[in-house]
Amino acid sequence: MDVAVLDRSAVSGRSHLHLAAPRAKLLAFALLLASIVVTTNLFVVLALLLVLLALVAAERLPARSMLPLAAYPAIFAAVFAFASAPDALAAALIVAKAVTAALAAVTLMFTTPYPQVFAAVQRVTPGLVGDALLMTYRAIFILADKLADLTRAIRLRAGIAGTHPVRSAKATTRALGGLLLYSVDLAQREYDVLVLRGYSGRLKVAEHPSRSPITDRMLVAGALALLGVATVWRIYWIGLIDYSWMLPALALLGLGATFLFRGRKR
Amino acid sequence: MSHIHIPDGVLPVWLWLSGWVIAAALIWFASTRSRGADVRRKVPLVGIISALVLVSMSSEIVPIAYHINLTVVAGVLLGPQLAIVSAFVVQVVLALLGHGGVTVIGLNTLMTMAEMLLGWALFRAFVRVLGRTRVRAASGIATVVTLAITTTLLVGLVAASGVTGATARETGALDPQNLTFASPFSEGVVGVGLFSGGEKATAPAVGLKRFATIVYTLGPVGWLIEALVTAAILGYVARVRPSLIFEGPLAPTERILPGDELGVH
Repeated sequence: MDVAVLDRSAVSGRSHLHLAAPRAKLLAFALLLASIVVTTNLFVVLALLLVLLALVAAERLPARSMLPLAAYPAIFAAVFAFASAPDALAAALIVAKAVTAALAAVTLMFTTPYPQVFAAVQRVTPGLVGDALLMTYRAIFILADKLADLTRAIRLRAGIAGTHPVRSAKATTRALGGLLLYSVDLAQREYDVLVLRGYSGRLKVAEHPSRSPITDRMLVAGALALLGVATVWRIYWIGLIDYSWMLPALALLGLGATFLFRGRKR
Repeated sequence: MSHIHIPDGVLPVWLWLSGWVIAAALIWFASTRSRGADVRRKVPLVGIISALVLVSMSSEIVPIAYHINLTVVAGVLLGPQLAIVSAFVVQVVLALLGHGGVTVIGLNTLMTMAEMLLGWALFRAFVRVLGRTRVRAASGIATVVTLAITTTLLVGLVAASGVTGATARETGALDPQNLTFASPFSEGVVGVGLFSGGEKATAPAVGLKRFATIVYTLGPVGWLIEALVTAAILGYVARVRPSLIFEGPLAPTERILPGDELGVH
């Protein structure tokens, strides 16, 4: 999990999605999730996935970092599907739903700075939860860096070696223990700093205004349209089932057109 | 089994909504009991321990689809009150990173919460029985028992939902009249065996049995790895900073300068 890449993209990205208001992106994300929940048609889910991929390509988001993150839940969904699905179609539906929802979440996080995402969560949760959420995300960066340093230090001292698995295991767990103690000390120092800066039990995040209202409207309208399609396909499935293949085909055309347009622009 | 690895749109709406409601009630309860300055002082600790759990969850052991959770470590260090908050925070961040699912955050929070609270309670019970000198054994046994119980909870959850792969397609948000799924492939568009069948839900019990068999077969390997890691970490912490484990998270903070963990001058 390379959170540094994620944060760099969210803060320094210059795409249309970065210009949209966090509130509009969260609403679009919720609508897209509702589409995934509503549909029971594999083709509709695949179409949603292809639309998201086209968006990632069109906006030139860092796909190399985003796609492995989005694909990660597929491993667990595949185990669940393998364990319980009666046929390949049901299994594919379960895995496709997991990957599509994950890609939607990852797209949101790669285009929105985390305090802006958590600001929305903070509004509906108790102060303790909101503050802990912000501190957790910040701490992930610190701990991931520290863990990498610790691992490198142990490796340099030949503590991690395939030929000595027991010694390696001991060194690794000692490193994790050391990381834990470092974390506790860090928490103490962090609290001291927060108190010095006037912390009284609530971190407040100001919401960024939209820098492109038209993008906001297009984003929400697009997500609403996708939810509409998923809902119509769910309700009138008997009549529409034979035309299901058209949805991913159209989305695939859109993806192809995006790549073509990108290539020509370059 | 710190969270259910079931994606959005598979479990029935009533189930994941109930998960949200129960989790929200528990978080509200924990938060209203946590208004004192002592708890506020520990908010950064909740953040950092939650981050530690998240960092450990980011590496997956592929053949058995398991990742280290450190939920028992988090439960022991945070105690029940703060563990409830930490469980929710971990699940929200996980869902936003694409791991888990947004609709199942409530159920996942309950699973993680159960693991942290059970781990905390069992660890304390085993330490009382075995003595403070056998922290490794106490934490190892507590982890295995906790994970066995939460895995059973997971199977119970899937059974209660009536959802297995066989019925996953039949549940959802809308009218039950249209719950049957038809495959266009089975009608001969691409009539290959891979996509054939499955128009009607078959008996869910068959899927559940297979699900339980796989979970209980792969699970113990994960429990063992988790128990070894937890025992090693808690054993190390008990040796160099015992107050963290034995005095509880809300005890007055012991100030130790970094680099002075062993108290050697």
